[in-house]
Amino acid sequence: MKQLKYETKRKFHGFVFILPWLIGFIMFFAVPLVNTVVYSFNEVSVREQGGMNLEYSGIQNYIDLFQKEVTTANEQVLRLLVEENQQMIINVPLIVIFSLFLALIINAKFPGRGAVRVIFFLPIILGLDIVMSMMQLDTGMMGQAAATTSAFADASIAESILKFTGLPAEAIVFIKDIINNIFTLITQSGVQTLILLAGLQSITPSMYEVAKIEGATSYETFWKVTIPAIANIIFFASIYTLIDVFLRSPITKEIHQFAFLKSKIGVGSALSVIFILNAVVLLGLISWFLKKVVKLDYGK
Amino acid sequence: MANNRELDKMQVNNVYIPEKFKKAKIPWEGYRIKKEAMGLVQKVFFISLVVGLCFIILYPLLKLFPTVFGEMSDLGNPDVVWIPKEFSTVSFRAAFKIAMGGSIGSLVISVLYALSITAIQIFMSAMAGYSIARINFRGRNIIFALVVLTILVPPQALLISQYLHFKQFDVLGLITMFTGGTIDLINKPYVLYLMAFLGFGLKQGLFIFIFRQFFITMPNEFEEAAVIDGCGFYRTYFKIMLPNAMPPVMTVGVLSFVWNYGDVYYTNYFHPDGPYLSVILQRMFDPTRREAVNDALFKHFDIFLTNQMTFDATKQAALFIFLIPLLIIYFLAQRKLVENLERSGIVG
Repeated sequence: MKQLKYETKRKFHGFVFILPWLIGFIMFFAVPLVNTVVYSFNEVSVREQGGMNLEYSGIQNYIDLFQKEVTTANEQVLRLLVEENQQMIINVPLIVIFSLFLALIINAKFPGRGAVRVIFFLPIILGLDIVMSMMQLDTGMMGQAAATTSAFADASIAESILKFTGLPAEAIVFIKDIINNIFTLITQSGVQTLILLAGLQSITPSMYEVAKIEGATSYETFWKVTIPAIANIIFFASIYTLIDVFLRSPITKEIHQFAFLKSKIGVGSALSVIFILNAVVLLGLISWFLKKVVKLDYGK
Repeated sequence: MANNRELDKMQVNNVYIPEKFKKAKIPWEGYRIKKEAMGLVQKVFFISLVVGLCFIILYPLLKLFPTVFGEMSDLGNPDVVWIPKEFSTVSFRAAFKIAMGGSIGSLVISVLYALSITAIQIFMSAMAGYSIARINFRGRNIIFALVVLTILVPPQALLISQYLHFKQFDVLGLITMFTGGTIDLINKPYVLYLMAFLGFGLKQGLFIFIFRQFFITMPNEFEEAAVIDGCGFYRTYFKIMLPNAMPPVMTVGVLSFVWNYGDVYYTNYFHPDGPYLSVILQRMFDPTRREAVNDALFKHFDIFLTNQMTFDATKQAALFIFLIPLLIIYFLAQRKLVENLERSGIVG
């Protein structure tokens, strides 16, 4: 038998390494994805002795989804989608900026930094779904998230300070909303803070030295040294945030609702397809926008 | 003119200083005071910011403190804000009894489950990441694009067909051919391991991505030296590449453990009867089960005035117990985590 070339062997072994993933991809991703699309164009019913009946019904499922069906909160599906997208467009930059802020603070040198770091990364744990759902109380009386912010909401101090700045009412309401949502904001920023901190620490100190010698103020250093150096990571963090926000979206509950409780598999699949398209389109938009700002370099 | 002459005199012999200058403060002293004051103000501002942020993050946990450590009869007492009147472990005992059946079995099983899934995820993701990063086989870029695609598509969107697919599981008609029917994979313990093993566990696309980003930055010399010294492909990987990949292993390990331990999504759909603490807790403390939990409180702990708040106190004590393994791992790992993440490739 002819001896195989080193490169060929290597390719073969490399392929063996990726093979389990490829099998998994077909079994757990490609087939379900195709099936979801197929179901969304069919009337699906599960037979009693196993197996499924598919009846082609064109885009009837999609029409039903937008015209007949309502969500658990008795809203129209379209309205839920629009509201979700609005929320995401506001929340994603907020979460990224907030975690950048946290990362910048931990990156500074001050006594007790270790302890602060432990606390700042706690959201990785506190952000788990199960923890959030168990911490939130069902009575309004002691609701944690509500109580965190009720201090802000009740006290007119914060509000009067805001009014004192002479901002328009819409801006004040917007800021108040952010403050009211701060608990959600924090619980979703754990991993991003970690990623951004790692990015900040990978900047070589000599860059800052040069900036200092050249007489740059800390403000200038931030915009001219820090931000360009971690632009890639900000991009990554934004994408990660968007995916994370999608995972927590109430739309996923609706999909479950349609498929398992109302047993309308077709309609649920139609919603899934729209959900995927929505995610991909929004991701595309955000990456397009960020690419204008950030020069991407993804390991070639 | 006169002014000029006066200044000249000052500069030349440094002795003559006009009266009006004598009274004035020395300019640099004012500058120093101003600078120090500004520094102090900045420091105070910074510290209050840090303390404030820490407080906001810890607030939910701090607020739970009097609820879970206090007597049940003190719940809702407006006098109790931060520190319980009398310390008591009754909520913990109740949570332990009601949610976990009085043994730490489910806790241990959950930790073991999360650990083994973590090990599988690290092993498989590292292999896949290595292959995509360093082997130049045909279609490698397509595979990488597919990995990114699996990160981007939310798994919940595939839930329905994945569930139905598992309910009547079959690989290309092979299983029907041999056994004459499909297998029901739902509610089998091994299905979660199988998914992790084939690279589709919880957020595994992200882990593969992290490993790929790390391996691509590793210098070629490692592999070349190993090959020249007579290592085969597998030996090179397991003896040289994997031990050098500790940073991403750490990062992926911690994230995978935290997520798998707290996961209620995969476990709930694919193995609902499993002994996972997260699923048990979620089911046990569903709002609809309030009466049942309160009845148990009354029966085992002689608590007469059961209401929403006793239910909540039990629930949160259970949450504390649930969090213990997570917090231990977290405190052990967090110091290393940042150092490692820096070198683990996400940063690129």
